Amino acid sequence: MNYVAFSLKQALEIRKATKARVMAGGTDLMVSAQRGEGMMPRFEGDMLLISHVDELRHIGFNASGELEIGALCTSAQIAGDSRVPWALRAAASRMGAVALRNCATIGGNIANASPKGDLPGPLYALDARVRLLSVDGAEEMLVSDFILGLKKTKLKDDQIIGAIIIPKMDEWFDYIFWHKIGTRRANAISKLTVTMAIKLDQQRKIVEDFRLSATACGAKTNRSREVESLVIGKKVQELEDLVAPVQEAFDKVISPRAMPVFRRTATKNMIADFFSRVARLPEERNME
Amino acid sequence: MKIDFNLNGVQVSVDKDPLSRLIDVLREDFGLTGTKEGCSEGECGACSVLLDGKLVTSCLVPLGSAIGSRVDTIEGIRDTKLGSIIIESFANGGAVQCGFCIPGMVISAYCLLSSNPHPTEDEVRLAISGNLCRCTGYDLIVSSILDASRRLA
Repeated sequence: MNYVAFSLKQALEIRKATKARVMAGGTDLMVSAQRGEGMMPRFEGDMLLISHVDELRHIGFNASGELEIGALCTSAQIAGDSRVPWALRAAASRMGAVALRNCATIGGNIANASPKGDLPGPLYALDARVRLLSVDGAEEMLVSDFILGLKKTKLKDDQIIGAIIIPKMDEWFDYIFWHKIGTRRANAISKLTVTMAIKLDQQRKIVEDFRLSATACGAKTNRSREVESLVIGKKVQELEDLVAPVQEAFDKVISPRAMPVFRRTATKNMIADFFSRVARLPEERNME
Repeated sequence: MKIDFNLNGVQVSVDKDPLSRLIDVLREDFGLTGTKEGCSEGECGACSVLLDGKLVTSCLVPLGSAIGSRVDTIEGIRDTKLGSIIIESFANGGAVQCGFCIPGMVISAYCLLSSNPHPTEDEVRLAISGNLCRCTGYDLIVSSILDASRRLA
């Protein structure tokens, strides 16, 4: 049996009682279940539609100054909200086309755990957390810990994703890079997406923080703190010399399957591009 | 499950599984066959309709998401002032070849011009970026939408 919830309380109760699989916007699950014209989609087990749960639709800062994005916020909503960090807005604005962005949700994009998913890349780089809700309480963990691998997450069978939380970010990063390679502008599934962010010290001479995540080059979105540590603490003038060691270290993160040469070369070029631009300390903060 | 929604301005009710596809209900239960099914996976835009004024691909929308909402299809908008201007511009501008993508194109154009009556060419191309035309008539479709925009007072 399939269910529709009209409040968060009702959704959590149905989830606990039936363990029905959660559907938000439906843009992934309706495709995988479709059987053709005039046919009822075929799902494995019961489904719980939560698209009417308005409590999960808000974007706003919490008491600690962190940005909370409700799990049902659509890509269109995220792309159009200036409080959302630029890389995430950029990724949301390039998901599918107009109609898909009106339905696809951030919670769904994470729960679907596709290695080519558009939003996990920036979320990994931003150290975003996911809040999981159940009748018995809430828990939080990094999005990068929540996604285990291809279509696998830590979601328990009584839980629903409630929100995504992005740590406080005033003057967080001085430069952010986000670039998606797809075969066309609209409706492109990522072939490789790289997100990078750099924070400088007050004198703008030393790299205080560096983040690098890549999507569509393995079973899940990749981020390597080991690679990032090669750049943190280094001088801005040294950035261009760091391209080769960073690429070499990140190479190990990229899956050897499916066009590894293309992905390695393209990632290398993007790292080189970002580092050489940042080394010149331009005014422009967002780079694609 | 009893599902109530507003379809082209009329309150309707159907007894269906909430995870039925909206497109099937529109075509099979209401006979609104102007909404076409192309790719069945949200890529082609032929099944575009408006859900509470927002453009959606009805092949991906579970019927339950329409509960309490308003759905507008090509049959509903063709007699509106804006709808008829767009359709006239498409006809005059030679925008239609095989016609299969056209209901979706008109819905996308309607959605654009409702909120932005005088878009740039780039805005028009972005608005129809989710609508595929395999007769490759995009330029005539774009110029027809711009023509409709000019004809709006």
